[in-house]
Amino acid sequence: MNKLKGFISKVSTSGNISIVEVNIQSEKIFSIIIGNKEEFLKIGNEVYVLFKETEVSIAKDFKGEISLQNRLNCKILKINKGKLLTEIIMQWKNEKIKSIITTKSAERLSLREGDNITAFIKTNEVSLMEI
Amino acid sequence: MIEIKIKKHLTGQDTEFELNIDIHIKDKEFITLFGKSGAGKTTILRILAGLTPVDYGFIKVKEKIWLDTERNINLPPQKRNIGFVFQDYALFPNMTVEENIKFAMDKQNQEFLDSILETMQLKHLKHQKPDKLSGGQKQKVAIARAIARKPDILLLDEPLSALDLDTRLKFQEEIKKIHKEFQLTTILVSHDFSEIFKLSDRVFVLSNGKIIKSGKPEDVFIQEKLSGKVKLTGQIIKIEKEDIVYVISVLIGNNIIKVVAVEEEIKDLNVGDNVIIATKAFNPFIIKM
Repeated sequence: MNKLKGFISKVSTSGNISIVEVNIQSEKIFSIIIGNKEEFLKIGNEVYVLFKETEVSIAKDFKGEISLQNRLNCKILKINKGKLLTEIIMQWKNEKIKSIITTKSAERLSLREGDNITAFIKTNEVSLMEI
Repeated sequence: MIEIKIKKHLTGQDTEFELNIDIHIKDKEFITLFGKSGAGKTTILRILAGLTPVDYGFIKVKEKIWLDTERNINLPPQKRNIGFVFQDYALFPNMTVEENIKFAMDKQNQEFLDSILETMQLKHLKHQKPDKLSGGQKQKVAIARAIARKPDILLLDEPLSALDLDTRLKFQEEIKKIHKEFQLTTILVSHDFSEIFKLSDRVFVLSNGKIIKSGKPEDVFIQEKLSGKVKLTGQIIKIEKEDIVYVISVLIGNNIIKVVAVEEEIKDLNVGDNVIIATKAFNPFIIKM
């Protein structure tokens, strides 16, 4: 599980659904949640942003448009290759982020340590937790 | 309604504290006392049973005063209508199952005895001596004996902790059934989350002799403020390495759920740990059966 600390900067609500923007070192991460009664979900509050390694997609030399809002420009620090799955550890700002993708994809992208890549996370895969 | 007010100075191995509780329990409620060992849970049961003296105490059970230190009332254990089941079964080895249960009854009531044997599925064992029984069966007899007194309160002090997981799960259902069927008011001491969630109406969390939290189990224990809407509690039964990740099997009720985790996450996870599994409301599929 990736766990980053940030401050809530905006909450947009429609009925039971809210999109919460969290500021992390001057960049934004978006989370869509159901229910917004939780007290900690207020602008200015510090929260943890959580997302699973397996929900982090990787793009290299990315061109064109894509629907994903959460895009983090990272540098690959380490690659742990398994038979089917590969773990990629990246530096983003002052944080380390992990991604798990298939080894096939890691090979297709010919990912190397030191590569600059973009990590994508779907808004509905990001959870928030009170600190 | 049961009213319990207790004050008692306790000296533990290297601690000293005051047991100080004031609780009300409704008729037919199932209560669990939860807390670290040495927090005072068993002492509370023993005080209720009249086996341990107090510095100050007031206990009223169904309009009857069992203990009132200010008025010098203190009913002896045999005058308090209680069923007490301990971790070890403490059956009479020279008596059969049926005789063990009968022994606890105030007056002979074959009909009630038969209904207990029937409900607890002990009928086929009624002529057996305890040494012929398995641990689970012995504990069943111990519970049957406790119920035979038609107790105002059934006290269960970690009754299932000596049993294996399979037996324990079946037994939890059994206790739930008995509690309902015989309309009991039950106080359980337990560390086992699945037990607490399955059985309790309310749980009291005890720390150093004081109740620090109480309420429904889900309100008391699942308070980690996660925005995820799908939260389940369970117990880890297996951790296996597969490729570069780990697959963790978690027992939730009678189902096993498998969750993928990375090495860093499993560092402080062990088989037997109680865990919360959470995911977002957006993720699960829903399929009509």
